[in-house]
Amino acid sequence: MVRWQRGLWWFLLPSFGLLTVVLLWPLGYALYLSFFDYYLGSSDRTFIGLGNYVELFTEARLWQSFWTTIIIAFGSVGLQFVVGFALALGIYKLKFSARLFTMLLFLPHIVTPVVAALFIKWILVSNFGLLDATLLGLDITPPDWLGDPIWAKISVILADAWIFTPLIMMVLYAALQTLDQSLIGAAQIDGANAWQILRHIIIPALIPAIIFTVSVRLMDAFRFFDTIYVLTGGGPGTATETITMYTYQLGFRMLDIGKASALGVITLVVVAIILLTINKVLTRIYRRGD
Amino acid sequence: MQNKVMSRKLALGVTSSLLIGSTLTVEAWAQDTIRIISHRQPALEYYTSQMEGALEDGRVSVELMPIDKELELASITMSSGSDAIDVLYLNDSSLKRFAANGWLEPLDDLWEKYKEEYKLGDFPQSVVDAVSYDGHIYSMPIMSNAELFFYRSDLLKENGIEPPSTMEEYEQAAEALDSNRMAGTIMSLKPVDAALNEAHWYINAIGDGWFDENWRPIFNNEAGVAAINKMKEMAEHAPRGFTSHANDESTINLQQGLAAMGLQWFTRAAAMDDPTQSRFVGQFEWVAPPSGGARIANDGFAISKFSSADKEEMFKMLAIAASQESMRKGAEYAMPPRLSVLEDPELAEKYRWYPAARQALENGKAFPPIPDFLDVGEIVTRYILQAVIGEMEVHAALNQAAEETEELLASRGYYD
Repeated sequence: MVRWQRGLWWFLLPSFGLLTVVLLWPLGYALYLSFFDYYLGSSDRTFIGLGNYVELFTEARLWQSFWTTIIIAFGSVGLQFVVGFALALGIYKLKFSARLFTMLLFLPHIVTPVVAALFIKWILVSNFGLLDATLLGLDITPPDWLGDPIWAKISVILADAWIFTPLIMMVLYAALQTLDQSLIGAAQIDGANAWQILRHIIIPALIPAIIFTVSVRLMDAFRFFDTIYVLTGGGPGTATETITMYTYQLGFRMLDIGKASALGVITLVVVAIILLTINKVLTRIYRRGD
Repeated sequence: MQNKVMSRKLALGVTSSLLIGSTLTVEAWAQDTIRIISHRQPALEYYTSQMEGALEDGRVSVELMPIDKELELASITMSSGSDAIDVLYLNDSSLKRFAANGWLEPLDDLWEKYKEEYKLGDFPQSVVDAVSYDGHIYSMPIMSNAELFFYRSDLLKENGIEPPSTMEEYEQAAEALDSNRMAGTIMSLKPVDAALNEAHWYINAIGDGWFDENWRPIFNNEAGVAAINKMKEMAEHAPRGFTSHANDESTINLQQGLAAMGLQWFTRAAAMDDPTQSRFVGQFEWVAPPSGGARIANDGFAISKFSSADKEEMFKMLAIAASQESMRKGAEYAMPPRLSVLEDPELAEKYRWYPAARQALENGKAFPPIPDFLDVGEIVTRYILQAVIGEMEVHAALNQAAEETEELLASRGYYD
């Protein structure tokens, strides 16, 4: 390192300071609060060590909400990835109007998620929702989109996919622009068919972008709240109660800040483990491809 | 070069002046403006507009939002001791929680001082009790609300059914009117508030209520199990999607002829006769909920303990909004808690649902008067909903709910 470069770390200070204030301090404070029996309505905080964690881990509700989160998060991100990738490929192959299609397909993502969820709710709501009423008008009895435990999960997954598929499509479409055309040309000369080109050239080339989109979307999906809150409120029963819905109930409805903080910390650790595993697996696939 | 330095200085000067100016303006605004937050519904829109009118233009800033959002915002603001909110709408349960937490200003002295001027003695003692906690008045009563039983009189007549007065009759009527295109009854079971209100009715009408005199849960006894079993049976006559329905969806189901009857708030009655919203104007009638025990509430506006605004001025603003004259006009949207207005025969003639509302006030029940009831509701409704949709067996669900309720109340010192 040359002498003039030695002082460069000072330039990191503003970013680190900002990160400390907006991220590390709240995180540390949440971790600190998670060791207390702290009800917001009371001025007393009692140190209980790992009490909140033990209580949470022995609750069936925590495990149930974890499973619901995993089903919804993986279902939703999986669907978004498949559809988003297909759309990105489709637009990439388009000879004309690609920009117009991209813009139109991106529209659902521009709308605020809460507003988008409201749109969807008034489409799916039983009897007078747009889709529901249309099907009834055609003498088709639609499923109970938001009232049946299985359909409610499917509706929530579809709603999230509708909002976020455009983001995946856009990132993958941008990544496709960097694709080396000579590789595809060479493969075609060697007689590779479309599937072989996709499997052996396009997908390996897109792995960094895929890792990025899947990771970002999974992180988001684990914090999935607004759409569920608007569509089902976590119901019917507890069918769509995700881990963030449960954290919300604890923190904002029951004002049990200690336990809500502990749940936040648990969620953070679980999401970090899942993401690291996925990143590792995808990176290994990528390297093996090399 | 000099020009550049000059323009830089000028730019800095202008920026600083703007910043200082805007800071001063924001500070002045913050000091002078009274910030009110409230649940959004027609009656509260009316009463908050009365508050705006009570002071000169621009002095009052009102933010309306759904009740759960309002309570979240208020809880977060007040638990931090912030003065960002001056006045807030609270229903009877949340009032007790906020008062117990020491977040509200007691109004006893101001109430006494202005009792004559604003005729505050016109509020019945039961209403004053509902806005009090631990012997102190914390809120200006603004509306009484009661859940009524809405029904389509034309359909009942056609089928030779009398308006139900018991749960059994209600079930028979729902069964008779249930068809492919129209549900026998509405049911609002969206978690948590809507479902809690509906469960409250069944738990009181068929069960023995929520607690014994020592705040031990009794909703899981034999009568409580029968109540939730009945609720489960009634769900068979509810519209598709009832587990995600709150008041809005249920109101629309009634207005559009998609359900024949059911429990809904007094404040929704006028909308049944609104030709821009309802397809069955004049065809709805109301009675007190069958078997009684449906929710009644007395809501009002309280002053934050942490507000830095003039508390006497805010009290007078609330008293003007809650005056006899204001409430006579507001009677269209909500049941006024003033005796002089409530007993006005002209109103009963003008608003067809008033006689049923007065009956409902007599046979209804408020939520148990403990600050932690909404937390109990969070726990119990979850299990009740699991029982209703068949995720759990009714008795097991209620036992589990009772166990968690006892744990919660024990941790809050109820059994010490």
